[in-house]
Amino acid sequence: MIRLDNVTKTYGSEAPAVRDASFEIAKGEFIFMVGPSGSGKSTLLRLINRQEQPERGAVWVAGQNINEIAESKVPYLRRNLGNIFQDYKLLLNKTVSENVAFALEVIGRPKHVIAQQVPAVLDLVGLADKGDRFPHQLSGGEQQRVSIARAFVNRPLILLADEPTGNLDPATGEGIMRLLERINTTGTTVVMATHDQRIVNMMRRRVVQLDRGVIVRDQERGVYD
Amino acid sequence: MLTRISYALRETWVSFRRNITLTGAAVVTSAVSLLLVGSTFLIQRAFDNLLTRWKGDVELIVYVRSDADATQIEVIKGALESQASIIDVAKLRYLNQAESYAEAEKLFAGDPGTLRLLTPANIPSQFKVVPVSQDSNLIRELGEQFRNIPGVREVAYAQDVFDVVARVSQFIRVATTVMSIVLLVVAVGLIWNTVRTAMFARRREIEVMKLVGATNWFIRIPFMLEGLLQGVIGGVLSCLGLWGLNTAWSGAVADFNDTELAALVVTDGYMRFVMVILLLIGAIAGAVGSGIAASRFLDV
Repeated sequence: MIRLDNVTKTYGSEAPAVRDASFEIAKGEFIFMVGPSGSGKSTLLRLINRQEQPERGAVWVAGQNINEIAESKVPYLRRNLGNIFQDYKLLLNKTVSENVAFALEVIGRPKHVIAQQVPAVLDLVGLADKGDRFPHQLSGGEQQRVSIARAFVNRPLILLADEPTGNLDPATGEGIMRLLERINTTGTTVVMATHDQRIVNMMRRRVVQLDRGVIVRDQERGVYD
Repeated sequence: MLTRISYALRETWVSFRRNITLTGAAVVTSAVSLLLVGSTFLIQRAFDNLLTRWKGDVELIVYVRSDADATQIEVIKGALESQASIIDVAKLRYLNQAESYAEAEKLFAGDPGTLRLLTPANIPSQFKVVPVSQDSNLIRELGEQFRNIPGVREVAYAQDVFDVVARVSQFIRVATTVMSIVLLVVAVGLIWNTVRTAMFARRREIEVMKLVGATNWFIRIPFMLEGLLQGVIGGVLSCLGLWGLNTAWSGAVADFNDTELAALVVTDGYMRFVMVILLLIGAIAGAVGSGIAASRFLDV
């Protein structure tokens, strides 16, 4: 589903954020990218959704070398990728339903499809009764659920999560992890960057560890250290 | 498709109202610059009309000394009428001193100093000559012969006035064209800036749109429509202004009905043509300015 071949990415004149990284992620896998801040986890995610382009190496997603596709095709690549962020990135002037519907609206889905899929996905994330609320009326955990609903409403092949539990207390974070696990069981590949040891140790999934841009460990059913 | 159109229109309207100050500035600047562009068109056309009228009308004026007696005037008249191959005898007009003074009162209405020097007694009477031939050399030759006839004070050629008017017209044409181009660039810049500000205010939304896979055109079109709307509103305002100016001007010169000044107007048909042009320029400038701004922002 995702393959990186000897990928190196440098920002400006600094040391490479990612150096010579190679790994492969199978369809339906759940994988953690771990390491301290600045180790290159986020850069890896940004390389996978083509927010960044590597200096060297190739990134393959769903059988395509995404560094070779035309700029005009990038939006269609992104429709197969859902993104979740530490700070949720919700639109504060829109309700929960509108935030989720927005993701479908801007890719031109017809109204009746939106009317059908938005309640279904809100139900999945456990916010069926909160569609009319605005983000500031929700707890952090609920806001993250909205952001997951928005990322998943289009049924993407891959979910990229960048520190999704970073702003949440442990119990709420666990709830989010259970939700991601449930989404994973539907066949969606989940790639999650985190430095939350507790969660990694609890989940016992594949772990790719980064240190200053270099992959130092790739372990099935791994723990944080 | 319908979802997309209604989305684009809704977003355009929201964004248009959000930055009302900047929007207003962009609209006013484009209106003023388009007004200048329109005025340039009208002024050029009015001068063309004026020149055409002169060309088809009086080409030669023979001024008769105020102290010339009736016999001398008759001699001059006879000499003119004998040149039927060059001048149109039927259109030959003689303005006596009273008539010449009446004309001068209108011509020098804005120049009382000159008018005060003239009286019905000292003003020259004049023959207005309409040639049949368009050959200006022939007309000049004829004019030179009349200079030496007793009683003739001076011979004036419309061509000389024509040249002056043409030079003035040329100057005004260049000046207004330069000004309107400069203002048009400023207007495009302001529309560009308005749209950039609107996009900056919504960068979070744009980021989300890009991440969920909205195409650049989908993001860009509402902003381009916003710029287009600004340009078109500026165009409409400039049309109203231009129409008002032209009506006022036409009314003012209508008082000079029997002088050449009355020809310094444009017809309604040309006015409509200019209005359409202004709306088109407004629309294109607005769409292009905002399109460039949007593309710059999306590429970053």
